[in-house]
Amino acid sequence: MIGLSAYLTLAALVFSIGLFGVLTRRNAVGILLGIELMLNAVNINLVAFARFSGNVTGLVFTLFTIAITVAEVAVGLAIVIAIFRVRRTVEADRLDLLRG
Amino acid sequence: MAPSIGLPLAVLALPFIAFVLLAVAAPLRRAGRAAGLVSILTMALAFAAALTVWARGLVFEATWTWIPADGGPIASVGLMVDSLSQAMLVLVTLVSLLVQIYSLAYLHDEPPASLGRYYTYQSLFAFSMLGLVLAPGFLQMFIFWELVGLCSYLLIGYWYERPAAARAAVKAFWITKLGDVGFIIGIVLLWSATGTFEFTELFDKAQSVSGLPLIMFLIYLGAVGKSAQFPLHVWLPDAMEGPTPVSALIHAATMVTAGVFMVTRAEPLFALVPEVLTLIAWVGAFTALLAATMACVEGDIKRVLAYSTVSQLGYMMAAAGAGAAQAGFLHLLTHGLFKALLFLAAGAVIHAVGTNDVFRMGGLFRAMPHTGIVFIVGTLALAGVPPLAGFFSKEAVLGGVWEAHLTGPFLMLALTALLTAFYMFRVVFIAFFGRAHAGGHPHEAPWLMRGPLWILALLTVLVGLRLAAGGLAAGGVEGHEEAPGWLAPLSVGLALAGFLLAWAMYQRGVIEPARVATALGPLDFMARRRYGLDTLYAGLYRGIMLGFSRLIGWIDRYLVDGLLNVLSALTLRAGARLRGIQSGKAQDYVYGVAFGVLLLIVWAQLWR
Amino acid sequence: MTLETVGFWVVAVVLLASSLAVVLTPNLFHAVLYLAAALVATGVVFLLLDQPFLFAVQLLLYAGGVVTIVVFAIMLTERLVGERLVQTSRHLVNGAIVSAAVFVGIAGFLIRSPLDGARPAQSADVTAAIGRALFGPFAITLELLGVLLVVALLGALHFARSEE
Repeated sequence: MIGLSAYLTLAALVFSIGLFGVLTRRNAVGILLGIELMLNAVNINLVAFARFSGNVTGLVFTLFTIAITVAEVAVGLAIVIAIFRVRRTVEADRLDLLRG
Repeated sequence: MAPSIGLPLAVLALPFIAFVLLAVAAPLRRAGRAAGLVSILTMALAFAAALTVWARGLVFEATWTWIPADGGPIASVGLMVDSLSQAMLVLVTLVSLLVQIYSLAYLHDEPPASLGRYYTYQSLFAFSMLGLVLAPGFLQMFIFWELVGLCSYLLIGYWYERPAAARAAVKAFWITKLGDVGFIIGIVLLWSATGTFEFTELFDKAQSVSGLPLIMFLIYLGAVGKSAQFPLHVWLPDAMEGPTPVSALIHAATMVTAGVFMVTRAEPLFALVPEVLTLIAWVGAFTALLAATMACVEGDIKRVLAYSTVSQLGYMMAAAGAGAAQAGFLHLLTHGLFKALLFLAAGAVIHAVGTNDVFRMGGLFRAMPHTGIVFIVGTLALAGVPPLAGFFSKEAVLGGVWEAHLTGPFLMLALTALLTAFYMFRVVFIAFFGRAHAGGHPHEAPWLMRGPLWILALLTVLVGLRLAAGGLAAGGVEGHEEAPGWLAPLSVGLALAGFLLAWAMYQRGVIEPARVATALGPLDFMARRRYGLDTLYAGLYRGIMLGFSRLIGWIDRYLVDGLLNVLSALTLRAGARLRGIQSGKAQDYVYGVAFGVLLLIVWAQLWR
Repeated sequence: MTLETVGFWVVAVVLLASSLAVVLTPNLFHAVLYLAAALVATGVVFLLLDQPFLFAVQLLLYAGGVVTIVVFAIMLTERLVGERLVQTSRHLVNGAIVSAAVFVGIAGFLIRSPLDGARPAQSADVTAAIGRALFGPFAITLELLGVLLVVALLGALHFARSEE
């Protein structure tokens, strides 16, 4: 029997992997992919909690998260392309105009 | 009392109106001669008013409260007219008027704008001195006292583009300020003891004041600075850097007479402190002698007159110190007349010859007989030859000092009388009767300058005659002391001796001046160097003021700045360290977020 | 071993493997494909949790929409650069340590919390319930979400517009 904690552990693992991707990827698109993974992990959490508590709100929020993620990806990629036009690179390491 | 207030008020207000008009209306001021005419016109009206005040013998006091405070006003302003201020009003307005008329010719080469500036200052100067004379209390007197100091600064430094004039102006200002510090401290001490600045009230209350000698000494310090008493006399000879009419004004009617006037005004207070009076007498007599010796070796005609002023101020102060303030005041009045005369005559000479050096003049009597005659009249008056004005006032001073049993000062003053005659006739013989080697063609001054000279010469004679008549009839006019019978022959004899000495040395050449100088070697040496006082002050100034400034500068540079430098360096270094955190890389910030999350997790698991 | 248990483990292995591939593979294009696999696996997890509707949304929006956008973006930037984009990584050890620490922290919550209740019975029409919730209590949120999507669309257009 697969309990709630198994799903949550799976989600936590995916979340950590996503975080790892965000921290280590040099390419801006790669960072966005890591963020996608983290959001997915959150979605798994939401659905699992909703299922095990019999509450429909978590499912609604999952839908919202998915929609917002789509928006985020669209804007994020547009920014990446814009940056690329100006700086000729999408390496996050070189995008340090704000360095103090 | 109400109707009579208008006249003295007019005397005071007219020069002020002229000043404000010239100060505000710039086009008028820049017009130069027009500004001069405005100033002269108002001064003439003020003179007429002053003359009326004197002729009518107005005596009153009117005050208005000022500086309101809990428990009654602290101070008051007003007008105080008595025999003292009547005479001073006439003297000040007369000399100011004549000087201003004279200046119109003397300074006719000046650019119009700066001539307008000159008359603006002149009006302010006259106003300040009149306010001082009319002051009913120490506070108002002090305010006008400082205004007088300011105006003399402005006028001495009239040719401010000359470094010497600018320096002399600053020197005059600071040295008189030195005395003024004592003056204001004395005034405030007196006020805290009695609660009033008014003279009439002070005269009643002063007996009970403890520490009055110190207070009066401090107040006297103000007079020391203003009236160029030893050791603060050094500014006056340097003040010769100003235009000659200004010198005449400063020496005769305003500025230096303020100190003597103040001492005379406050005489009832000084009378309470005999020790300070004795000090005043000794310092005055010493100043008189010291300045006279310096005048004997001076070659600059204006400086000779300046030292003679210092010397005569010493006379006045000695008289005040001897308790014969009226005699000193009389000398102040007569001296005002003939010193203005002498300065204006000297100005005419300088105007004609183009130098101040008497040894480059000579034979001027033939070229400028008018100037020569009036200069000799002034010289005779200053030397104390009867029946001219100076004789009677000087005799009154000597008599007063003798009466007070001040033998030392009396002897010094007597010697000074001899020296006075000597150095004045020395100038006369060298400049007017010496062999002519003046360059160019000395010519008589225009009437605009000769007129005031003749008026002053005439007045010198007339006042002398009036004093002679009064003295013979009543045995004493305006505080003329009953002098011992041998005094008049003595002073005439001294003047005669001085005259003969000068004649022998500089006219006949019987006595070689150089040999006298060698005979009196050290004295001559010292007098030529002004007894080293200027050097001493310059050294003290350099040593104390500059040393102190350097100390302050060092503290500022190394301690104050150092502290700030250390602080700023620390800030910079800390900033340099901290800016490493701000890498500008988004992922480094994600690390920060992750660490924050970790902290929250740890906190939530361990402490909750 | 029920079918559900077997399915869970299989899906879990696939999900974790493809996730790791997303963050580790050097080829960006491959990374996107692995992401698609991970998203599909997530959808299967939804299915295991008895949510077929969410599985469908996941497939349509994520695997269909997001992955397509990302692929387009990669193609675009590759064309601009003119060479293949190679994914490299930075500070691998640091990232691994921080990520592992976060995981341990979350796992700590799981261990300390008694969560292993039985799975309640699933009501028959969850999809209908979701619909009612969306247009009932969450109606305003839904409308705002629509606004957000429009704004994001316009914003993306603005950013990606060429400068001329």
